[in-house]
Amino acid sequence: MKRSKSQFVLNNLVLTLISLLLCLPFIWMILTSLKPLEDVGKAEWWPKIFLWSNYKTIFTTEHIHYGRWYFNSLFIAFCVTFLQVITSSLAAFGFSRIKWKWRDRIFLLYLATMMVPALILMIPNFQIMIEMGLIDSYLGLIIPASFSAFGTFLIRQFMMSIPKSFDEAAEIDGANSWQVFWQIILPLSRPGLITLTIFTFMGNYNSFFWPIVMLKSEHKYTLPIGLLFFESSQGQQTNLLMAAITMSVIPMILVFVCLQKHLVKGIQLGGVKG
Amino acid sequence: MTKNKEFKNTLLGLAFLSPNILGFSIFTIFPLGFSLVMAFSNWDLSQHNIFHSNPIHWVFFDNFSALLSSNEFWKFFKNTLFFMLGIPVSIAGSLMAAILLNQDLKAPSKKIRNQLILGSLLILGIIVTIMTGLKASVISIFLSSIFTLILMGGLLGGSTLYRTLFYTPHFTAGVATFILWKKLYNPQSGPLTNFLQPVLDHVSIFIEFVGSENIGFLKYAAATLCFLSLSYGLKTILKMRKELELGNGSFAIAYFLSALPSYFIVKWSPDNPVSAVLQIILIGTLFYYFASFFKVSKPKTPIDDGIGKAIWIGFISMTAQFILIGLCNLFQNIPAIMQSPLSTPNWLTDYNWAKPSLMFMGFWASIGSNQMLLYLAALSNLSPELQEAAEIDGASKFQKFWNVTWPQLAPVTFFISIMAVIQGMQGGFEVAKTMTGGGPAGATTTLEYYIYDEGFASGRLAYASAISWVLFAMIFLLTLFNWRFGNRFIDE
Repeated sequence: MKRSKSQFVLNNLVLTLISLLLCLPFIWMILTSLKPLEDVGKAEWWPKIFLWSNYKTIFTTEHIHYGRWYFNSLFIAFCVTFLQVITSSLAAFGFSRIKWKWRDRIFLLYLATMMVPALILMIPNFQIMIEMGLIDSYLGLIIPASFSAFGTFLIRQFMMSIPKSFDEAAEIDGANSWQVFWQIILPLSRPGLITLTIFTFMGNYNSFFWPIVMLKSEHKYTLPIGLLFFESSQGQQTNLLMAAITMSVIPMILVFVCLQKHLVKGIQLGGVKG
Repeated sequence: MTKNKEFKNTLLGLAFLSPNILGFSIFTIFPLGFSLVMAFSNWDLSQHNIFHSNPIHWVFFDNFSALLSSNEFWKFFKNTLFFMLGIPVSIAGSLMAAILLNQDLKAPSKKIRNQLILGSLLILGIIVTIMTGLKASVISIFLSSIFTLILMGGLLGGSTLYRTLFYTPHFTAGVATFILWKKLYNPQSGPLTNFLQPVLDHVSIFIEFVGSENIGFLKYAAATLCFLSLSYGLKTILKMRKELELGNGSFAIAYFLSALPSYFIVKWSPDNPVSAVLQIILIGTLFYYFASFFKVSKPKTPIDDGIGKAIWIGFISMTAQFILIGLCNLFQNIPAIMQSPLSTPNWLTDYNWAKPSLMFMGFWASIGSNQMLLYLAALSNLSPELQEAAEIDGASKFQKFWNVTWPQLAPVTFFISIMAVIQGMQGGFEVAKTMTGGGPAGATTTLEYYIYDEGFASGRLAYASAISWVLFAMIFLLTLFNWRFGNRFIDE
């Protein structure tokens, strides 16, 4: 008993130490975001005065459309997530609950394309976006991201695990396919839908490559592109920059803390992607 | 099933699929073909768009041959591979984190737990009082309070809090945290410099006290240790090959990894006489073990037996040698370095430090990543019987890990490694674009960055497509490798 007690204390101490070390950058970030500009480079981490107004200033700084970027990021991530979950769950139903001739072959094609690096597709898609006149528009960010082979695959895996008898019972009661999908299968695949929602939302909130290729005008930037612009144009204002970064990181931490049960399960069940 | 019903079902299935398949065809299938067309033509953004519809010319393999004969491509390919050296380190970190988190963190009893919480609060109170008395800085009091808070959260809630804190750097990784790290690495006033500079000052004083020539003698010690780590590694794998733990292929991989440093050694330090001698000794050792490999009796085993262990031994031996060779050069150059007081490097703008700096940040972001979560899931599924059996046999902690836990984790490790390598091949743009702009002098430009530069920044879509297809070919080979050997692990 005595040995296990000291072991228990030691484990907790080691884990606490590692956690603290991993969090040090974040602690520095928050403390610096509260400093006045002249104290930023000092070795002392603790701010002499707490300048909470930094968080107000970033919204009113010239050329930094911070509020607008925030809105853009959330809006685009929301639209993409909404559309992707709809298209993926519809397709997953077609791939898992209905038996038809070409089903498995088309699904294999979907699977095969998951192996293709996104980079290959981005180059022609860029040309397509130019031809469609969608460069520098929200639609150009939303539409190509709304169809995902990975999402379809993930939801299909969840739908495959629902017993066939549910559909059959519903069909005997006279339900048509749409009712089976909407009232029975979709509610039962809720864990999968939640996982896909988190993955897609976070992925698009954080996405970088496609937005930096597509966006040209400053007020249409999403947060990552905006932050990069902020850093390269007014980067010496470290305190404001840190305030901006803190504000952009906090939603992610909140999402993770609130939904981590689903997220962890989703990652462990569905393997990993990105 | 009647023909009519089958037809109806096909229509129904397609109806459910239609929204997705429409987008899938336009944004995945069509671009895939389009990209091939680009790669074999002279497609350029300024020549082929709605305003200029110049006819395209087929150049067939010209893009590819131009690519493979350009120095830039190979330089950036090497950069990409160099960044991938961080993968084993991050996997080891994730595994350690998972093992720590997987331990039984529940208090033996409620009473003990409460005692511990009260105790840690009490200790915090004492520390804060003493620190205030000693006029310690506010920040150290603040940090020790946070430490106690995390500890209490851990004591109360088990592993969840730790897991959340471990995972946060990975989950939030993106432009925001990269900019944060750029500021941490600021060579004039960043916290890393502020922290390290006093340490380096003390080191300078110490070296001056001992005398830089005397410190210089340590280069012989480093060289000897380097020789020992090579020969010990080779001896181990040879023994394992004899005892049927390794197949010929695994032996070759471990041998190759351990042999790599001898190739780089003189390239790194042309003016260090010690490393020239060391290289001869290392190559001699390699030949000696190469010869003894053919002398020993080698019973037949599958070629890839024990490949996981072989890679780890090879990698550890390689890393140790690289570090020791680096130290040997460092000690050799100490009199020259000590001409001026030691100072921290310009992390991100120094050609030699830029890559390691980015890799260190990558390590921070990847300890508590998806890899850790996958390891956690695998660890909780291990069979306790085997562990107990090993314990009864009197195995030490390390033996238990190396001979019982590690082999059981082989499928996960294999999957994680392949995924990490596939991601590593096509990564690095976001970090480099944010923190270094691909520089200094292209030191942090990866293949992904190269594609961005050629395709999207300069508009040479044909050339960019060619690079991306070469990348795809490499990833495809890895995937095949995954299919071929991944199943073997699962069957075992």
